[in-house]
Amino acid sequence: MQKSPFILVCLFASLLSLNAGPVWAHFGTIIPSHDIITQYDDKHLNLQIKFIHPMEMQYMEMAKPKRFGVIQGGKAQDLLATLKSTKGKAADQQESFTFWSAEYTIHRPGDYTFFVEPAPYWEPAEDLFIVHYTKVCVHALGLEAGWDQPVGLETEIVPLTRPYGLWTGNLFTGQVLLKGRPVPGAEVEVEYLNESPDNRSIVHAPSDPFVTQVVKADGNGIFSYAMPRSGWWGFAALSQAGWKLQHDGQDKGVEIGAVFWVRTVDMK
Amino acid sequence: MKTYKYLLMAAALTLFFCGQALAHKVNLFAYVESGKIYTESYFPDGRPVVSGKIKVYDSANQLLLEGVTDPEGRFNFTIPKADDLTIIVEASMGHKNSFKLKKAEVEAGK
Repeated sequence: MQKSPFILVCLFASLLSLNAGPVWAHFGTIIPSHDIITQYDDKHLNLQIKFIHPMEMQYMEMAKPKRFGVIQGGKAQDLLATLKSTKGKAADQQESFTFWSAEYTIHRPGDYTFFVEPAPYWEPAEDLFIVHYTKVCVHALGLEAGWDQPVGLETEIVPLTRPYGLWTGNLFTGQVLLKGRPVPGAEVEVEYLNESPDNRSIVHAPSDPFVTQVVKADGNGIFSYAMPRSGWWGFAALSQAGWKLQHDGQDKGVEIGAVFWVRTVDMK
Repeated sequence: MKTYKYLLMAAALTLFFCGQALAHKVNLFAYVESGKIYTESYFPDGRPVVSGKIKVYDSANQLLLEGVTDPEGRFNFTIPKADDLTIIVEASMGHKNSFKLKKAEVEAGK
């Protein structure tokens, strides 16, 4: 029964490497160049759509989304044709990955909820597909109307806190919907976007549980989280889809995420 | 006893007016299209500013025209001058806001 220490070391190392990947949470992102447009601002927005690990700043390859649009004043507008592919990577990533960028001009007062439905992403490490329905709300010209309305996605977070004009430390409350119905006990992952333009220095997590915060929703699918730093915060509520997708001729499960992004600003 | 009542009333009134001032921030939005300037005046929740006084000034701060918003908070007029224009809305209780249209925007909408 004598085992060589070499084999033990190999075993240990392979276990470590197995554990290294999946701890990071995937997040769909839509980050606009502004979250509030006043009459003194340029009415032009740039939106960047990515699939990343926000805290670790790792990019994943993103195929062209299935849907990309905006709802304002109850009307939806298809913006899929405005998407342009571009490349990006974290400082410590070897290769670049595709993400998407769009330009949009605000013409009227109101709340603009941008939404994206990505193409399913195959994640071999988890043996499933991931589809993150992602939203962000941009407020324009003082008319605070529309932010609390659902878009009608398969799953989505509907904010109960007005999702703009948030101070650092504010509590964000939202409701998780799946096919328009609240998800009791939904698990919501929360991450800070380390590449936020207003982030003064990269945040390093002292250990893995700090990377992704986890909160559970109550019986009505309602969750809250207080955001401790200025910049962009992502909330991802994950469910299993009732449908399967094929990978290499086999039916595979699909993780569907409802993602919402908000920005906080320090009180000065 | 009477003074006490008056004090309470004053406190209640103060609270009432403070609340109003916060909730009643007035907004004005204006755009130019086919030779006309369209203005919309509204509260943050979307209710229109009814019978708000509109004043339009040029870049030399000369009053060009005045008007009153309709039940939908709107007031429209033909372009008075190709210039930087400042449009002001005044609602009741001194709530006021302004919107600037740049000369280039005015000329683009001719």
